[in-house]
Amino acid sequence: MRFDLKVALRYLTANRLQSALLIGGVAIAVTVFTFNAALINGLAEFQIDRVVGSSAHVTIEPARIRPALAPALDGTERLVVSQVALQRREQIKQWRTVEQIIDTLPGVTGVSYNILGTGLLSRGEQTLPITFKGVEPARLGAIAPIDQNIVEGEARLGINDVLIGRKLATDLGLRIGQPVLITTDQGRTRTLTVRALYATGVDSLDARLAFVNLDSARVMFDLPEGLTEIEIKLADIYAARDVARQLADSTGLEATAWMDKNQRLREALEGQGSSGNIIKMFTLITIVVGVASALLLTTFRRRPEIGIMRSFGISQRFVLSVFMLQGALIGIIGSIVGCFLGWSFSTLLANIGAASGRRLPVDPALGQYDIALLLAAAASIAAALWPARAASRIDPVEAISQ
Amino acid sequence: MSKPESLSLLEVRDIRKVFIDEDFQTPVLKGVNFSLRRGEMVAMLGPSGSGKSTLLSILGTLMRPTSGSLRMLGSELTTLAERELSDFRNQQIGFIFQYHHLLPDFTALENVMFPHAGRLWRETRAGRERAAMLLERVGLSERMNYRATRLSGGQKQRVAIARALMNQPALVLADEPTGNLDRENADQAFALMQEIQRETGTTFLLSTHDRELAERCERRIVIQGGIVVDGAEPVTHRTDSTGGLRMIEGDVAVVIDHTRVPNSSDDRRRA
Repeated sequence: MRFDLKVALRYLTANRLQSALLIGGVAIAVTVFTFNAALINGLAEFQIDRVVGSSAHVTIEPARIRPALAPALDGTERLVVSQVALQRREQIKQWRTVEQIIDTLPGVTGVSYNILGTGLLSRGEQTLPITFKGVEPARLGAIAPIDQNIVEGEARLGINDVLIGRKLATDLGLRIGQPVLITTDQGRTRTLTVRALYATGVDSLDARLAFVNLDSARVMFDLPEGLTEIEIKLADIYAARDVARQLADSTGLEATAWMDKNQRLREALEGQGSSGNIIKMFTLITIVVGVASALLLTTFRRRPEIGIMRSFGISQRFVLSVFMLQGALIGIIGSIVGCFLGWSFSTLLANIGAASGRRLPVDPALGQYDIALLLAAAASIAAALWPARAASRIDPVEAISQ
Repeated sequence: MSKPESLSLLEVRDIRKVFIDEDFQTPVLKGVNFSLRRGEMVAMLGPSGSGKSTLLSILGTLMRPTSGSLRMLGSELTTLAERELSDFRNQQIGFIFQYHHLLPDFTALENVMFPHAGRLWRETRAGRERAAMLLERVGLSERMNYRATRLSGGQKQRVAIARALMNQPALVLADEPTGNLDRENADQAFALMQEIQRETGTTFLLSTHDRELAERCERRIVIQGGIVVDGAEPVTHRTDSTGGLRMIEGDVAVVIDHTRVPNSSDDRRRA
């Protein structure tokens, strides 16, 4: 064993209580760090899961028609007034080509070719504005797991069928098998039969959306060939931006990743993330302050001994190393204990949550233990630097005559 | 002086030390001159505040002089860098102190090995064996693995003597090595140093207030008011050492008597 390590260990074991307190302090800080990470990341994961679980990861929409503009003269400003061409419906006409492109993409777990449109859903006197989503019956559950969340009826989407959320059904007093009258914004009317009710827990799906067969949607919304959107689900949700860019480049259509569609979610996650980072920063500061002050005290108490060592020619580097190693040992042992405690605590809470049915969004796997270990050890070593330098610079004559 | 170069260990020439504390300048050493020969056992005497401890610190390269020259084993020590000094100290100088003998968290054996292991950054079998041999020599082989705190005062000082010898230094500096011991232990420690000095040819320079011990040394250097007033040079001819020694001893006894009265010696010199 290196002799400086032996001396450092001897000093740590010589004052067991102080060392235990120091290691305990680092451990608690690391526990807070890792538990905080498990909570914030678990919460983010939970929120993302809720959003992403029932919506598309990449959405392809028709390209916006942007009028070409003549270049402005130097030093002048220009005012552009553009009017959306009402006669031209925005639609994806060449979707068969896009389908071929999507089929070659790796990591795609689901695709849905949709026609979205708005209309009124009436039953008797009651009328509600609703978004209709025309999908291929086989792909009903491709994006939101509608087929798995049927609470009444069967997940069948015939040409005259409509699937609605349980909330909407309650609002309108609808039951399975009842006919409803639909008037679309294209002025078409059609009577469909309520085939099933679903409940996903996502309000935008359960109260404001109705699923119809893609072929009926073509008629209802007067789109004999085109689509209004293509939705894609990916195995790796964080690849969404890359996939969206790739699709936009290769198709010329608008492709948007989920994180760019959900501005609010992103802001919420960023806010949580930065408040989590502040907590983590404070835990690191706690480590630095605690370790530095304790080691400074040790340095002071051991002044005569350091003086004696220096008197028999022990180098300043050796003394420096002994005290740096003490900091490193405290940091490493403390953070290992802390990681274990943080993991245990997160696991305990996650299990309690699971047992009581109200799942807490703590994910013990997301405790960032590697980062905690690295940072806590680095913080301890950094904290040891000042006391160690002070120790190595002790004037032996002064220290011995103390 | 025409003594052979190989006999000379240390040449101290015009060493001065001035402590500067804000506006006050305190000259402690005012031009110290003396030399030590290899294998001598020399006592350094002088009243408190005469500069003995400062001189020992300078000789041990723990403190730099304000001016002057310090030649040991052919090297001028005053011009060496801190790291070189530390290394020189480790190899050539052994220290024995009055208090703070040992590192309390280490065993007797570890204390003795420390100067060796600390230089190499690791313990070696050879170092361990030498340390054990030295502990045996000072009569503590039974206590080898005792923590320093479990040893008596006399035992601690014997461990300190063994430690000072660990790296086979040319010079051992002892600052009041027996000052903290009772008569019996003091005599024992001194006898041990004397034996080792004879066996190994290591030079010992002991600062002491103990007249009895000083008289058992081969030579006494007397410091007063920051200069060496007696015993600066070794007895030149061994052949008439008996007569010479006796004469010098007589002189020292007189000087020591003077030091008992504070400032009287300074007054005498100024007069």
